[in-house]
Amino acid sequence: MIFAQFMSGLSRGMMLFLIASGLSLIFGVMNILNFAHAALWLVGAYLCYTFWYLMPNAALGLWLSIFLAALSLAAVGWIIEAVLIRRVYDRELSEQLLLTYALVLIIDDLIKIVWGVEDKLIARPPLVAGPVFIFGAPLDSYFIFVICVGFGVAIGLWWFLKKTRYGHIVRAAVFSREMVSALGIPIPRIYTGVFALGIFIAGLAGAIQAPVGSITLGMDMAVIIQAFCVVVIGGFGSLLGTFVASLVVGEVYAFSILIWPEGALALIFIVTALVLIVRPWGLFGTPART
Amino acid sequence: MKRSFWLVLVFIVALALPSVIGEFWVHVAIEILILGLFAVSFNMLFGYMGQLSFGHAAYFGVGAYATGLLLLKTPLPLPVCFFISMAAAGLAALVFGYFCVRLTGIYFAILTMAFGQLIYYIIFQWYAFTGGDNGLQGIVPPGWLLNVRHYYYFTLFIVIGALVVMWLISASPFGHTMRAIRDNAERTRFIGINVRRYMLINFVIAGMFAGLAGGLLGPFNRSIAPDLCNWQQSGIPVFMTVIGGPLAFFGPMVGAVIYTLLFALITGFTEYWPLTIGLVIILVVLYLPGGVLGLVQKKWIPLHSKKLTPGPNGGAGEEI
Amino acid sequence: MKILKVEHLKKSFGGLQATNDVSFEMQPGELAAIIGPNGAGKSTFFNLLTGYYKADSGRIFFKGQEITNWAPHEIVRLGISRAFQVSNIYPAMTTYENIRQAILTKQKRTLNLFSPAAGMAKKETRELLDISGLSSFADTIAGQLSQGDKKRLELAIALGCRPELLFLDEPTAGMSAEETTQTMELVKRLNRELGLTILFTEHDMSVVFGYAQQLTVLHLGAIIAQGDPGEVRQNATVQKVYLGEEA
Repeated sequence: MIFAQFMSGLSRGMMLFLIASGLSLIFGVMNILNFAHAALWLVGAYLCYTFWYLMPNAALGLWLSIFLAALSLAAVGWIIEAVLIRRVYDRELSEQLLLTYALVLIIDDLIKIVWGVEDKLIARPPLVAGPVFIFGAPLDSYFIFVICVGFGVAIGLWWFLKKTRYGHIVRAAVFSREMVSALGIPIPRIYTGVFALGIFIAGLAGAIQAPVGSITLGMDMAVIIQAFCVVVIGGFGSLLGTFVASLVVGEVYAFSILIWPEGALALIFIVTALVLIVRPWGLFGTPART
Repeated sequence: MKRSFWLVLVFIVALALPSVIGEFWVHVAIEILILGLFAVSFNMLFGYMGQLSFGHAAYFGVGAYATGLLLLKTPLPLPVCFFISMAAAGLAALVFGYFCVRLTGIYFAILTMAFGQLIYYIIFQWYAFTGGDNGLQGIVPPGWLLNVRHYYYFTLFIVIGALVVMWLISASPFGHTMRAIRDNAERTRFIGINVRRYMLINFVIAGMFAGLAGGLLGPFNRSIAPDLCNWQQSGIPVFMTVIGGPLAFFGPMVGAVIYTLLFALITGFTEYWPLTIGLVIILVVLYLPGGVLGLVQKKWIPLHSKKLTPGPNGGAGEEI
Repeated sequence: MKILKVEHLKKSFGGLQATNDVSFEMQPGELAAIIGPNGAGKSTFFNLLTGYYKADSGRIFFKGQEITNWAPHEIVRLGISRAFQVSNIYPAMTTYENIRQAILTKQKRTLNLFSPAAGMAKKETRELLDISGLSSFADTIAGQLSQGDKKRLELAIALGCRPELLFLDEPTAGMSAEETTQTMELVKRLNRELGLTILFTEHDMSVVFGYAQQLTVLHLGAIIAQGDPGEVRQNATVQKVYLGEEA
């Protein structure tokens, strides 16, 4: 029972990590808090549904759909950055926030227009349909898949940021825009790339979320707030922080729902508020930026 | 001079309004007044202190629930309920603001949001006291306010009174100190101001007037739901203020008129209101920074024509 | 009684000892200067004295009252104000409002919520505008002032706090020769006529030797010489580490 709850918390935490890592990356590099991140995540889920729907009975239908959904969402992210976000780099924080907030309203309505108000359901392929038994406890095999993807993305991102040339440039941009542009690297291209990457991960997360339960309008609203909490707790721009905070929030939620179901979310907000008060730059962030 | 002319004109129109428009539009007008008051209170933080609160609806909600519960469970007269609403919202703002004013910028925005959601969840989950997600039903104003036109005048005078008080505050040394903090908080510390304490006082004032606006809502709608304190509701005063213009005292009020009228018109023929207002916001952010009143000031009022007493060596400087 | 007394003040950033065991005193009515090459720790010293940084160790007294690690606003209220090196004004407010803000704060009127500020402290504000030579810019938005006028405004704001002890961090930085003379004459007058105790830092050696009665030389965060201008000029260490570079 405890173990099952732990695994459910772990898969929840991984889902949060997939969303929050992109959010944190975008904020760390571009200094823009993307309210629309979870709305785009939801678009990823719907896109996955559509691709899956168009590929009846294909053996690899779901897996291909997940990949296609993430890829198309990256393109959407690319366009949003190039058309809208780029115009507000030099604006005030409030204007940037409002712009992405307005995107939430627009995207949510567009979802309604395109996919309608009915919930969507994806039938899982047999591989991940049934429970698996670990230590005698029945576990949703799809959860295992979610957890694997979460770890995979975490390792992939870490490898990208630490080991590749582009990763080094992105990490340098977190600390100083001037330095990077002094190196002769065009900042707008980095920003577009980072934004598209962040949205790609959000799309991947959304697509993976799709077969978990049914896809419902408004799912994004609860998720964005929790993703904010994760990013705050971990520290803006810190991959490790986001990873740890995701797991903490996922587990706190999973266990408090057993003990005190009404207080689960409230508890997360209290933790977030505490971190903000004591260490505004988060558990793993650096206090440089305030 | 020009401004007082416009204010008198708006006042006369506001007085005459209910006798020329239908009941639906009187409802809309009341909503404009209530949300306008809410937005002006929000702008005490945003426009005057320079901090974006994304949890201001929490104090609106606390005020709404205070008056709602008092009307349902006690025989207290309505004005007393409003005072208690203001006190309750002010108390909540004092407790949460104590922590919020330690932060600025994005951290301030997120912390106000986290506390706002906390208040929302408390109200949402506390069935025994707040009715949970059922909200409160059957909040009936006293008999003399049952007529919607009477409630309109009642709201009009309360809102005008509140606006006068907030206007006085904005023109007082305290109000100027808030502007100073927005302009340069560090300098303000080094002329001897305890910046956090002043920000906290302002936070409480803003919370109290949001609470008053919330108090007006229950007896008008006859019901309240927890949704009116969540973060989506907190976005409404932000929208109004940005549309109307955060740097003008009446900016949020102008924004409230535009937003609410637009809402009433658009929802008449499409359900896609969020899409519409989202597009409006993007257009305003991209092409109308400073909002409607910002545009008016830029176009028709010569820059920096602030009226001050002419200096002893006056003449060489800017025009008076 | 000493107006300012500093005992064994220390502050380091990472491995860098920015203020290294500095002990320092000022008599009421003194006009003194702190000099030293770039990075000698002059600004850090001011920042410690005005509460901008917290000291690692050591004590600071103002008129016998210990003020070590007090918050900036508490120190200002006691009677110490400062003008910053990079002008630190209210760029969106008018020159008049900039100065009035400091005066209203000193007059303890900033918690007044309901009377209009417009009519307050007119006389005092105009007086300060006049003294600092900014009268003709009263209604100019401060952000649009010239660099030199911004520095003058910076000084006027510091004076608006009605200090007994005034710290000026390079008060003439970025000024023309003529503006520099004007400003330093004003500083001298404030010292002579109002009896203000003033401590300033300065790059221009002619200014330092022309105006300061007492000199303190900082090098790598520590005091290497102290005395009147004549003594300091003769000091061998000073000539080696500092004046030598200037020549």
